[in-house]
Amino acid sequence: MTDAAIIWFTVRMAALATALLIPPALALAWLLARGTWRGKSVVETLVALPLVMPPVATGLILLKLVPHGVVFTWRAVVIAMMVMSSPFIVRAARVAFENVSPRYEQIARTLGAHEPRVFFTITLPLALRGIAGGVVLGFARALGEFGATILVAGNIPGRTTTLAVAIYDRVQLGHDSAAWQLVAAGVIVAFGAIWLSEKSTRRRA
Amino acid sequence: MPVRAAEVHVSAAASLSDAVSELAKVYESKSRETIVLNFGASSTLATQILNGAPVDVFLSADEAQMNRVPTLVRVPLLSNRLAIVGKPLLKARRIAIANPEAVPAGVYAKQWLQRRGLWAAIAPKLIPTENVRGALAAVLAGNADSAIVYATDSRIGEVIMDSPTIIYPAAVLRGAENVAGARRFLEFLQSRDAGAIFRRYGFLVK
Amino acid sequence: MTLVIDDLRIPLAHFDLEVSATMSARVTAIFGPSGAGKTSLLDAIAGLRRLQRGRITFDDVVLSDLPARARRIGYVPQETALFPHLSVERNIRYGGRHNEQHVVEVLEIGHLLDRGVTALSGGEQKRVALARALLTAPRLLLLDEPLSGLDRPLRDRVMQFLQRVRDDFNVPMLYVTHDEDELAAIADDVVRLDHGRIAV
Repeated sequence: MTDAAIIWFTVRMAALATALLIPPALALAWLLARGTWRGKSVVETLVALPLVMPPVATGLILLKLVPHGVVFTWRAVVIAMMVMSSPFIVRAARVAFENVSPRYEQIARTLGAHEPRVFFTITLPLALRGIAGGVVLGFARALGEFGATILVAGNIPGRTTTLAVAIYDRVQLGHDSAAWQLVAAGVIVAFGAIWLSEKSTRRRA
Repeated sequence: MPVRAAEVHVSAAASLSDAVSELAKVYESKSRETIVLNFGASSTLATQILNGAPVDVFLSADEAQMNRVPTLVRVPLLSNRLAIVGKPLLKARRIAIANPEAVPAGVYAKQWLQRRGLWAAIAPKLIPTENVRGALAAVLAGNADSAIVYATDSRIGEVIMDSPTIIYPAAVLRGAENVAGARRFLEFLQSRDAGAIFRRYGFLVK
Repeated sequence: MTLVIDDLRIPLAHFDLEVSATMSARVTAIFGPSGAGKTSLLDAIAGLRRLQRGRITFDDVVLSDLPARARRIGYVPQETALFPHLSVERNIRYGGRHNEQHVVEVLEIGHLLDRGVTALSGGEQKRVALARALLTAPRLLLLDEPLSGLDRPLRDRVMQFLQRVRDDFNVPMLYVTHDEDELAAIADDVVRLDHGRIAV
């Protein structure tokens, strides 16, 4: 697999993982930000787990949970990326939602808006910068994901070999210049991706 | 999930990547079968297999990992030898080796040192690294005076002729979906052509 | 156009808000020191706080049975709370566009419509918030210390606009304040609130 193909594969998987993650992550973040409910602290801890546990440990758990036909496929790559990125998006979104003064939402209600309209026209736009920051971090995390991916998706050249895995491979085998090549390309891609999203977050303000 | 009748899933130790990749290509052109390769540390591969990952053939870097998984056919496929890179051991102040508690290469190195009665003298000078590449990198960078690695890792080292027996077993797994295809590939791995390719990469063929 | 608060009770931080009252004037002031529970009372009437007990009715509509979005009550909160990410025009139109032309004229905000709300002065913000509430054709208008945070000359000016609203639109107003001068300027009736109770 060429360097370009490995990078393109990794970027596609990370983008898909991030995109799939956003709706449920926002919903969860909103629930955590507003209101107290039973089991809330359990959920908060679960969300933070992938941040604190060694990625390999998370990978082992995923290996047990992911269905047989999905292990060793690109879907497993996406799943591993989603799990490892989720804390970044959920936590950033939660803080962003908490920072939106409830007064705005209340006034919107007095003006006749249903809850979905309040969320999409008031809460979400006001939380957008914070959320965007979390999404960028989540995407970057997905791009670099290694420990969990390698367990549940394996290292199958052409099918599941991601950028981080490929670099590690080449270092392991002593193909140093090939490793550096991939590192350089990876840095450029990551730099470009984050720079682009930082730019768009700033424009929104 | 449709049965992947024409695919043979092979998990191989990372140290065999180059050799096995080339062998897979040769086999695919000769046989019209598709080989799907998965590389990693032997321990990781074994864990994947134990947790139900779909694998037909397993090539491990040591017997201990192969012992963890249920097999249908198991053969000692390859061998290797240790090598010393850098200064002679007794003249070195710091010697890098792969972690002798966990990594096969380090385990074999320790076995050999003990058998030669050198362990007591050498042990205080050892710098354990996470893997054998790390040991090689340490001596090449000058952070260690010597390293004990595999002969396949470096052309510049002095091969230890009385190395302990290092076996790379290969097996068709009991949980294989494509048993027939797996058996055929395992036979190919033991063929003369395959042997020539392995030898080119520095391995000894059983 | 009569608002009836019947045996309302809401637990607050330091005491319970307990109110029964009937208000049918054009402008009823709710007068009392800070911390008396005035804002909480407005929040309850608007449907933003749950009642522990009691009923709120306006004419024959049981407001306390309805969610906030269905009560058709205009609210100008003390924080003004104009939506910072929307223009003035989109702010005022958020709940509707009833009588838009007239409201914009009376409050003299026509020249502000495509501005961002953060660029407005304090007095302009209050007028925009008023317009936003009025464009929903509310049955009742709640104003929480509408002149707070404004300096003397601006207070007089905004008071003039409030009087215009009282005279031009047929909407009863509940006006929360702790300032005697404001009472004199606009209120037709006063309800005094202290420590959560109506003081006689």
